[in-house]
Amino acid sequence: MPIEVDGTIYDTDEEGYLLDFNVWSREITLKMAESDSCELTDSHWEVIHFLREYYEEYQIAPAIRILTKAVGRKLGKEKGNSKYLYQLYPEGPAKQACRYAGLPKPTGCV
Amino acid sequence: MTEKIDFDVPEIPARIEDPGVQPHASSHLKPYRAQHQHQEALGFPGELVDGWQEKAIDKLGELTGKYRSLQVFMDSCMKCGACTDKCHYYLGTGDPNNMPVARQDLLRNVYRRYYTLPGKLFPKLVGAVDLTEDVLDQWYTYFHQCSQCRRCSVFCPVGIDTSEVSMAAREILDTVGTGQKYVNEVIGKVHRLGNNLGLPEPALADTLEGLEEDIEEEIGVPVRLPLDQAGADILLVTPSADFFAEPHVDGLIGYAKVFHQAGLSWTLSSHASEAANFGLFIGSYDNMQQVAKRIRQAALDLGVKRIVFGECGHAWRVAYNFLSTLTGPLEFLDTAFPSPQHVVEVTHNLLQSGRLQVDPSANDDKRVTYHDSCNVARGSGMGDIPGGQMLLPRQVINAVCNNFFEMPANTTGDATFCCGGGGGLLTDELIELRVKGALPRMQALQTVDKAHDITHMVAICAICKSQFAKVLPYYGFQMDQILSLHQLVGDALVWKVNEV
Amino acid sequence: MFAGWLLYLAFAIFILGLLARILRYARTPAPLKIPLMPAPRTTGGVVLRLLQEVLLFRSLFRASRWTWVFGWLFHAGLLIVALSHLQYFTDPIWGWVAMIVPFSHMAAYAMVVGLTGLLCRRIMVVRIRYISAPSDYLMLVLFLVLAGSGLLMHHVFYPDILGLRHFTLGLVSGNLSALPAQWLLWVHIGLFALLLLIFPFSKLLHAPGVFFNPVFTQRDNARGKHHVNPWSENTEPDDKR
Repeated sequence: MPIEVDGTIYDTDEEGYLLDFNVWSREITLKMAESDSCELTDSHWEVIHFLREYYEEYQIAPAIRILTKAVGRKLGKEKGNSKYLYQLYPEGPAKQACRYAGLPKPTGCV
Repeated sequence: MTEKIDFDVPEIPARIEDPGVQPHASSHLKPYRAQHQHQEALGFPGELVDGWQEKAIDKLGELTGKYRSLQVFMDSCMKCGACTDKCHYYLGTGDPNNMPVARQDLLRNVYRRYYTLPGKLFPKLVGAVDLTEDVLDQWYTYFHQCSQCRRCSVFCPVGIDTSEVSMAAREILDTVGTGQKYVNEVIGKVHRLGNNLGLPEPALADTLEGLEEDIEEEIGVPVRLPLDQAGADILLVTPSADFFAEPHVDGLIGYAKVFHQAGLSWTLSSHASEAANFGLFIGSYDNMQQVAKRIRQAALDLGVKRIVFGECGHAWRVAYNFLSTLTGPLEFLDTAFPSPQHVVEVTHNLLQSGRLQVDPSANDDKRVTYHDSCNVARGSGMGDIPGGQMLLPRQVINAVCNNFFEMPANTTGDATFCCGGGGGLLTDELIELRVKGALPRMQALQTVDKAHDITHMVAICAICKSQFAKVLPYYGFQMDQILSLHQLVGDALVWKVNEV
Repeated sequence: MFAGWLLYLAFAIFILGLLARILRYARTPAPLKIPLMPAPRTTGGVVLRLLQEVLLFRSLFRASRWTWVFGWLFHAGLLIVALSHLQYFTDPIWGWVAMIVPFSHMAAYAMVVGLTGLLCRRIMVVRIRYISAPSDYLMLVLFLVLAGSGLLMHHVFYPDILGLRHFTLGLVSGNLSALPAQWLLWVHIGLFALLLLIFPFSKLLHAPGVFFNPVFTQRDNARGKHHVNPWSENTEPDDKR
């Protein structure tokens, strides 16, 4: 199910993850969130930006501990836990947030 | 959990019972198909090949010649029905093709048609069928609704093991070009990067460093998680989920704390940064061997004396029973530890010899039960005593936690129910199957919970942990009620002030 | 004479077919250690495991009490009935055979009860009906008719026992004679020949199969003993430190 933004079509896999990390744009994320009826706050964007930075450096999504620590640093220590991340991204930070950030889906025994 | 649910989550029944035969109840559940790149990375054709029918039949004949188990299983089922109500996927979905005998028959009926006299002469009489596109599709569907947990074989009077049949069927599917995306993509990542997740070495190093900081912050002790440290005594091979996910990572922290307190010299490897071996799930000897050889190579390169496996169910089956067959003898290991060990064995040993200081009251906020992982219970051993794979984890739990309670006996030990996500089915498009397949375990959990007010279920398998974290909320439990065994251990360790 | 030749043919196919099958099982490699755990560690333990399965149907007992009761009655009855038939093939009748002969009709009743129970389950339990092919019903009917015809000859339609013994002993010594003309006896013998004929090609192969199933026959000894897969290329160490 490719995703269309401003007349351009972006290829995704079966579950809507972008096939190409580099074609990502804010508008794509907004479109994804819109079809999930998810309203994106600044906190959501903090997560998305961190995921993109991390992926750019390491070619993989960050482990949950690294993500929660980063969120804790940026949004306050009380938010640096996976409970909070699940509030932001009910389908799971690794899965929903990665999709919004244009990362491929992390798969394995997770 | 506010994820969209487009299926009915079963009510937990008062006891585990036959839901009644409901044909096609789960015929719509199938995993995504592997694409060219996933197939070809494993040496399989990228798409359904020309003449697939003939190739599949030939492959079936080849496999019955290579595996005595498969040959005996194709011939020996007397259709007594003993297994029909034993599979968690049947109990959860009611789809008759999830009865183990019916699942086997999908392959057996084709075998009978092409390889037995009655099947050639009187197909209708003996239920033999031609290999058609419909049959191939049924294979794809229902051999991906088997978690290869072997529970059915416990109850089979001739010991037919459906997992062997579903491995063979998946190998045939891969051979004709219709593999499953999730498993094949994961194996490709292991071949390329050394682990299921695809964590490159710098990411792994960064992750471990972060964990060291966390531990020191928590307990004030500089516990290390060494990576690629040549000359270490022990190579720890653990599922990559232990680096990445919760509650797995708390188990990894637990192993590190145990090794640190016992003063053991150990290391992880970036070359073999994965315990899991999904080659088993698709019955591909070549892929299983290739994955296993990374471990032998890493052990040689690092010059270790022992290999220890972390909490991963099927990895332990492969390590315990297959590793030296797959890689050649591990003759370079210390003669005191000539075979791979399970981290539970290591911890058990240290506890017995008094080399760990534990205070079980540290876990007094928890009331736990233990889920026997299928591949550990029915596919491996521990501690060189009969049934040690059931005994040792329980003894460790009892040593580090005061409140331990068993689930009903017909759901534990060698009769344990699969978590519902094993055997290469731990993928989101199969969530309906996974939720329904977890029903028998949820029933058992609810039973012990009602009697003893359970707070947590403990497991020693990465797949079980991920599966339960995902499906517990569907049944009204919390996702964080599943724990790594070594989290309990790590939390109970007492650190002397002078170590700080 | 026809009956004699038929039985010879059936017996030859039975023996050769079964032998071929057993040879195939024995020659097919078991590349990996796949015993169902917890598994015995010694050969003696494996023998014990197999005896428990074969004599007591231990796994079936754990699985389904009714199937176990009916299945065990049928198999135990069949064993005694089959052995007591040696009375027709030994002269003088072997002592231990003579000792079990008085129980043979009881054993045949056990067979009938067991088979009827199994047939009822096959028809009435939806799960088992779903997995049953026509041959699965017919196999039970075949055994039922064999047991029933035997019992009828025991109680009602007595065959010419002396003539029968003459015929059966002739089979053993190679001096074929005619089978006494009695329709029930012909049915009984004919179905027995059919049973021999289909045995090596049917699910009755579970009888030898269970002894070759690595799930039951392998020991839990992978830790101490290097297991070699004969068809894998890399069983020898290919690298040294």
